Amino acid sequence: MDQNIGVYLCSGCGIGEAIDFDALSGVAEESGVAKIYAHACMCGAEGSKVIRDDISSGAVNCVVLGACSGRVKSEIFAFDPMQTIIERVNLREHVAWCQPAGHEDTQAMAEDYVRMGIVRVQKSTLPTPYLEALDKTVLVVGGGSAGMQAALDAAKAGYSVKLVEKEPELGGHMAKWHKCLPLHPPYHEIEDIELSLTIQEIESYPNIEIFKNSTIEKISGAPGMFDVALNNGGATHRVGSIVLAAGWKPYDATKLGNLGFQKIPDVVTNVQIEEMAKAGSLTCPSDGKVPSVVGFIQCAGSRDPDHLPYCSAVCCRVSLKQAMYFKEQNEETKVIVFYKDMRTPEQAEEFYKQVQKAGVIFVKTDTSKISVNEGSELKISVETIDELLGEPIQMEVDMLVLATGMQPTVLDDPILNLEYRQGPALPALKYGFPDSHFVCFPYETRRTGIYTAGCVRQPMTCTRSKNDGTGAALKAIQCVELTSQGKAVHPRAGDLSYPNLFIQRCTQCKRCTEECPFGMYNEDIKGTPLPHPTRCRRCAICMGSCPERIISFNNYSVDMIGSMIKSISVPDEYEEKPRIIGLICENDAFPAVDMVGLNKLQYPPWVRFIPLRCLGSINLVWIADALSKGVDGIVLFGCKFGDDYQCHFIQGSELADTRMSKIKETLDRLVLESDRIRLEQISIDDYYRIPQILEEFTARLEELGPNPYKGF
Amino acid sequence: METRIPFLEVSDAIVMSGAETLYWCMQCGLCTGSCPWRLVPGEASEQFNVRLVQRMGQLGIEGFESENCLFACTTCRTCVDRCPRGVDIIGNIQGMRSMLAEVGTIPGSLKPIVGSLHSQGNPWSGPREKRTEWTEGLSIPTFSEDTEYFLFVCCTSCYDIRSRNIAKSVVKALRTAGISFGIIGAEESCCGESIRKVGDEALFQKLAESNISLYNGKGVKKIIVTSPHCLYTFKNEYPDLGGKWEVYHYTEVLADAIKSGKIKPSGDAAGRVALHDPCYLGRHNDIYDQPRELIESLPGAELCELSRNRKNSLCCGGGGGRVWMETKAGERFAELRISEALDAGANILATACPYCITMLEDSCNVMGKSDQLKVMDLSELLAEKL
Ligand SMILES: Cc1cc2nc3c(=O)[nH]c(=O)nc-3n(C[C@H](O)[C@H](O)[C@H](O)COP(=O)(O)OP(=O)(O)OC[C@H]3O[C@@H](n4cnc5c(N)ncnc54)[C@H](O)[C@@H]3O)c2cc1C
Ligand code: SF4
Ligand code: SF4
Ligand code: SF4
Ligand code: SF4
Repeated sequence: MDQNIGVYLCSGCGIGEAIDFDALSGVAEESGVAKIYAHACMCGAEGSKVIRDDISSGAVNCVVLGACSGRVKSEIFAFDPMQTIIERVNLREHVAWCQPAGHEDTQAMAEDYVRMGIVRVQKSTLPTPYLEALDKTVLVVGGGSAGMQAALDAAKAGYSVKLVEKEPELGGHMAKWHKCLPLHPPYHEIEDIELSLTIQEIESYPNIEIFKNSTIEKISGAPGMFDVALNNGGATHRVGSIVLAAGWKPYDATKLGNLGFQKIPDVVTNVQIEEMAKAGSLTCPSDGKVPSVVGFIQCAGSRDPDHLPYCSAVCCRVSLKQAMYFKEQNEETKVIVFYKDMRTPEQAEEFYKQVQKAGVIFVKTDTSKISVNEGSELKISVETIDELLGEPIQMEVDMLVLATGMQPTVLDDPILNLEYRQGPALPALKYGFPDSHFVCFPYETRRTGIYTAGCVRQPMTCTRSKNDGTGAALKAIQCVELTSQGKAVHPRAGDLSYPNLFIQRCTQCKRCTEECPFGMYNEDIKGTPLPHPTRCRRCAICMGSCPERIISFNNYSVDMIGSMIKSISVPDEYEEKPRIIGLICENDAFPAVDMVGLNKLQYPPWVRFIPLRCLGSINLVWIADALSKGVDGIVLFGCKFGDDYQCHFIQGSELADTRMSKIKETLDRLVLESDRIRLEQISIDDYYRIPQILEEFTARLEELGPNPYKGF
Repeated sequence: METRIPFLEVSDAIVMSGAETLYWCMQCGLCTGSCPWRLVPGEASEQFNVRLVQRMGQLGIEGFESENCLFACTTCRTCVDRCPRGVDIIGNIQGMRSMLAEVGTIPGSLKPIVGSLHSQGNPWSGPREKRTEWTEGLSIPTFSEDTEYFLFVCCTSCYDIRSRNIAKSVVKALRTAGISFGIIGAEESCCGESIRKVGDEALFQKLAESNISLYNGKGVKKIIVTSPHCLYTFKNEYPDLGGKWEVYHYTEVLADAIKSGKIKPSGDAAGRVALHDPCYLGRHNDIYDQPRELIESLPGAELCELSRNRKNSLCCGGGGGRVWMETKAGERFAELRISEALDAGANILATACPYCITMLEDSCNVMGKSDQLKVMDLSELLAEKL
């Protein structure tokens, strides 16, 4: 496409007062653009009509809009992405609202932003979306509370669903339980489990196909075009997206010999209690008698560094429920619950009170230090320190229930058996739960188009598992819809680009295949990356990783950012006007810088911000380019990293940090100080720190003196 | 540390004795933190931790039985109002005490009280026939079908010389207001409120039954009481046993009389008057305004609120049977109350309960403050201005 660039400048919202528009237009003119137009209100009917008219007449096919932040008024300035390239130059939040009006440094800043905006457009091409992944079937793996809900919700929304269940019947663990926790106000009574209606509805639902007694042999392909082979042979099934709801398994109680398991016959687990209760009576395994006193040990192997360090969230509530099983069987049965903390969130506090009122005795103690032995009067003796009494106590019981925790079924079985270069399983966090940005995007995994729901993701009740099923089904639907239109899913939802590899120059170094957090690349036999575009989230981490710089996007490339950096005018050292490049994450840091403007805070006028899709896409050549051009310092604003990382992709800023540790080489070669580069973790509510960070950085650069490469 | 062995049969017995909410307690400790015993030094303060006492009760573990532990609770109700679990803490304390009383292990100091109640119908070892000695020269009418109110005078104000002045003052005020009232006399027995709190349930039942049949036999419909403790049990405990009457504390009746203009206090300025809200008038019966209205009706009276007032009022130390037990000087809540009244700049500390008068006046004297601060019942303060 031949580019006809129109530069539209808005002087509203205080921009006109801060910046000299004639001079600004002059900068645009130097770039040889097709049209320059200024208006006092570009977002008004009149202003925006000018742009639309120019586009429809063919006078302009690329729009550089110098106005407010690209994060606002996006509907007004939306043009057909298949026909028009648009770049929003943020003259409002990033210049007029955070710099003194009419100052020459403010002007220089605005001019640089316009130059960079024009270069960005010049380095972009129209997208050629990937339109081959068209299947919209949702595969649900696991037919427990979460899976059944996901299947039903996706089906009700009109999508074909394939539900794969390992067991001969649907229902998951809940189908094995005797009764469930209170579900209705006033949350005092345990309730019957109603599954048959749901199962019936699913089994007779026209667009749900159920595969019982089945597991996944293999899944190949990518979103919109997954091919699924089941273990019992037959043709493969094509699906568009996947909900993994394969649930949990109990922590292995045989590891709890310290609590008497398998040493004393009447020490059982909470799962066994459910089975006994369902079978009709709660009796001691050793002699079949109804126990007179029952003990429960909470956190049996949970919140314990030697076993499961985390809390399984439901076992406190489950023990309350099971205590009531015993009281319902015989009111006279004494029940003693040994606990670390009773965790009874939400309405379960009401139930807890009710169980206390039924006379259940609670003993606060460190349950991992309890000593369990044969008893003298009753069968089992429990000795521990009652922290509320502040003294050791010894109590005897006929039966002891270990409230064991939950582990994800994916812990030692990949279940999905993905044909991905990075392996058959979903990448997991510390304790085997699939990795996700669990605070903001809980259902996401590191495999695009595959979403987790229920206890496979995190321990939770069946009520929450069902809600999870709904959430994951909606994600799966979003995925097939966007994918079929060639668009990216979250967080760059709607982006039509995807990585282009100039494969002739690939050296098979495998960095991209290894570093892509989403496993987009498989490999051929020679080790050349084999892209699966719909797996891609468009983070461009691969672009940053590729030493040959052969990975680019139609709207993002190494050359593009490098050229933008080069377009900045760098004053010579005698002017004493340093220049700082800010490479910032578009998801958290960019909005934070907008907030600086919204709050009318000021920062040094030397900095020029360039948004990156993810700090992980950073390529070291940009740093080298900037420094050899005479830029004095570079700040990188990424999201918070660590265990509770906030990356909208996966730990991109942490990756950038690792890459930066390698920058020393470049600096040494240029004989420059490492202090000229600084990485900061910025979350969106950290905006108020930004001016201070920039001022400190400027002060440090002043100490270091100007970059000696200025003017070269 | 020696390992303790819980006896769940003992906890069952405690629950059976009335500690019905014993297991509701989640051991948060808010009660212990709220308890006035935290404000004073001494043995009871060190030994009595109401949270722990209930824990021992839950597990049936002994060690809480002493006068300075289980029997320290004054039943002031501060903790009950704050407990996040709605535990009837006083009921639990009472249940634990009852369990001991049943086997005869109540503190020795309470034994003469119990004896006197059994034989004379009052805790003060006064002969039954002298119950009306205080009325001498007052020609107080005897209650009959034609009388509107039966005036029930607290045993303390019948026998204690100092306290008799309260009874006399109430009578004077009621007369001025033209209210129709009468007493029954020597057949009346102690209301039994405090002995029930001490745990002697059987004795309470005996006293209550005798009062109920007496009052019902005389045709009582409405009662005025001089003590908030009698008010509490008549109003809240007697109905279950067949005693269903309209019961009023004298402050309620007199505040009404002032509002309707039946009495108009006059005379010298009363000065700066601080009010001690009795636990049983305030927290137990929710009466806070009428005593203040009485003070405000007095000529030249300035009500000065104590720093702990109304719902947060600090106990005098006399409830729950403590009025019959010895608390050492320097460890008494009443001493804190006297200091608070002095801090508030009061020259009179008024209250409306015979136990409070006893406790506060005693501390005021022990502290040597009686020349700066006068402890008076509201009825006395009012009677002076009539
Ligand atoms: C003792 C105990 C009692 C409980 N009681 C209650 C309660 O009263 N109320 C409450 O709300 N919560 C309760 N819970 C929690 C509750 O069991 C879970 O919340 C619930 O089971 C989670 O549902 P899910 O669908 O995520 O997993 P699951 O119930 O585990 O279902 C997963 C499904 O996936 C299937 N599956 C597994 N692997 C594969 C595979 N490879 N291929 C295909 N299918 C597979 C399984 O067969 C199963 O059907 C209790 C937990 C315990 C430990
Ligand atoms: S839910 Fe309760 S028993 Fe389970 S791990 Fe958490 S604290 Fe322990
Ligand atoms: S852009 Fe990101 S998600 Fe896409 S292939 Fe590259 S690294 Fe993977
Ligand atoms: S405040 Fe209530 S719940 Fe808390 S320890 Fe005291 S009685 Fe128990
Ligand atoms: S009633 Fe009063 S004295 Fe008794 S435990 Fe509660 S706060 Fe303490």
